[in-house]
Amino acid sequence: MTVTMPVQPGQDTAGQPEPVPWRGMLWITWRQHRAALISVAVLLGAAAIFLTVEGLKIHQDYAAVLACRGGYAACQQVNNRFYGTDWDLAMAALVAMQAIPVLLAMFTGPAVLAGELETGTFRYAWTQGIGRMRWTVAKLALLAVVLTAATGVISQLYDWFYEPLLLAKNFPWYTATVFDTHGIVFAAWTLTAFCVGAFLGMLFRRILPAMAATFGVYGGLGLLTLLELRKDYPVALVSSNARLLANSRPTPTSPWILSTWDSAGTQWWRYIPASRFWPMQLFEAGWLLILSVLLIAGTVRLVRRHAA
Amino acid sequence: MSVLTMPAQPGHDTDAVLRPLPWRRMAWVTWRLHRGTLISVLAVLGAAAVFLVIAGLKIHHNYATLIACKPFSSAACQNLNSDFNNTDWTAGNTVAILMNLTPALLGAFVGAPLLARELETGSYRYAWTQGFGRVRPAVARLVLVAATITVLAWAFSQVFDWFFQPFLPQEEMTVLTATVFDTHGIAFAAWTLAGVSIGAFAGMLVRRIIPAMAITLGVYLVLALAAWDLRKYYPVAVVSSSQNINIGPSNRNSSWILGGWFTGPGGKPLSQATADKLVALTYGRYHKAFPHGYTEWTRYIPVSKFWPMQLIEAGWLLLLSAALIAATVWLVRRRAA
Repeated sequence: MTVTMPVQPGQDTAGQPEPVPWRGMLWITWRQHRAALISVAVLLGAAAIFLTVEGLKIHQDYAAVLACRGGYAACQQVNNRFYGTDWDLAMAALVAMQAIPVLLAMFTGPAVLAGELETGTFRYAWTQGIGRMRWTVAKLALLAVVLTAATGVISQLYDWFYEPLLLAKNFPWYTATVFDTHGIVFAAWTLTAFCVGAFLGMLFRRILPAMAATFGVYGGLGLLTLLELRKDYPVALVSSNARLLANSRPTPTSPWILSTWDSAGTQWWRYIPASRFWPMQLFEAGWLLILSVLLIAGTVRLVRRHAA
Repeated sequence: MSVLTMPAQPGHDTDAVLRPLPWRRMAWVTWRLHRGTLISVLAVLGAAAVFLVIAGLKIHHNYATLIACKPFSSAACQNLNSDFNNTDWTAGNTVAILMNLTPALLGAFVGAPLLARELETGSYRYAWTQGFGRVRPAVARLVLVAATITVLAWAFSQVFDWFFQPFLPQEEMTVLTATVFDTHGIAFAAWTLAGVSIGAFAGMLVRRIIPAMAITLGVYLVLALAAWDLRKYYPVAVVSSSQNINIGPSNRNSSWILGGWFTGPGGKPLSQATADKLVALTYGRYHKAFPHGYTEWTRYIPVSKFWPMQLIEAGWLLLLSAALIAATVWLVRRRAA
């Protein structure tokens, strides 16, 4: 009997290899990026523990401040603990929170693709059975989901941690550092930063320039949003209700006054009421998500066009 | 006479004598190896400096208009004031925050890849087997790159000092405020040098660039925060019983108050209970009339001690950087290749 066997349908239909299952990419992503994933897990875990422990302390101290009656001398120690130590700690946490999205993106984004290109291992990685497109999409999607979920949890924890200080200091809801870390926007910014990092990594094909550029682009985009874009979200109202808007002092629920003008004797205000907080969050998360998808699409296109 | 064996020629290739390092050649090698880094840092700092000059001219102009506005309590001048605080201070504050981060970023991006790149890519097998060995070229590269980046950082911080001028009186900060002290005078250059040294050492220790960058950022952060506390202990503080320290609203010349205590008759320290009573007695008054024999002492640092403090800080940062560079070179020697 000759060695050549008839074609068995379903087993080796000529020229059509069976697609490698996506499941394999889960293990590959873990193996290749376990150092980064473990480091991120350890850091965010430590941050979560810190926020929980200190958050309980801050809530207790605030309750003590509210319950304290007796004027300056008797309440001095209680006030010092809350407005002094706790406030300094919370400020440090606030600065750290602002830095988390960009740092996470800088250290994970470019390393995914630019790392392969810089060391030349793309010649091996992209010639595996799964093909370069699925390889790239699966890796980016997995890492993006992990980072977004982790930072989503951290931002909820931080919201709870910061609550007493928000109330005590009467920060308005539209303060950039407050809006950035409440709700779902924090996770959306991390996702966008990661996608920016991956795209720039593929564009520059070197890790360090991509990291520096990610920092610059994220910084620029963030500044643009908090200075200009948020005022233009389609949620603003126009009114001449002086009782509501004239001389409004900032509180967590006060309206955000964008501009004011005089017309025919009455003063008009363009403002955003506090009730529009969630629409604004959804709008910002929405355009950030669209931007992330476009960046990933751009990254995949660059991967496809790259000569191997 | 065989070609292969020749008598040793003294002065030419006596094996125990090291040839002196030609620094010009080492400078050329350093330039070739690190020209990407040096040009990038120059470009980024240069672009930022241009931005600071353009924005700074506008801010100086706005501030000059603001302080020329009389009477200050009128509505027009108050509007000008809040405009300055809202737009110009937002820009100034953002730039100040980035300035405080810059030495850490320079340390991570310049210091960490300095030697770690050779180790990560394996090119150390070539670089370290050149005629001059591995130690002296490593010293040359570290010192030349660190010195260049430090000089660039110093120049950039002078531009920032000028840019930030109007905000000191306007936002009631003094040059001793932690975030301001870090970026004025020579402190910025010293911190950049320390950052680059930390980065180079971390890179040599861990032998991989990205973990070294993360370690550099972490270590720098801890060191910078520790330094803010350390400044209280610099040997420049003054103790005085004068009532005239920081009277009136805080401004750019306010002293940095470190602590205060009371003494009773004969110079004896008071119990907490007595001290509390004294405080309650004189609370809220500028010129406190203490009972006879009781004095309030204040330990503080006046703004005039800015430069002594800068020199102390630059001094210990320089020592730290030298120690780290020495440690890095020691690691280069010991690393098996």
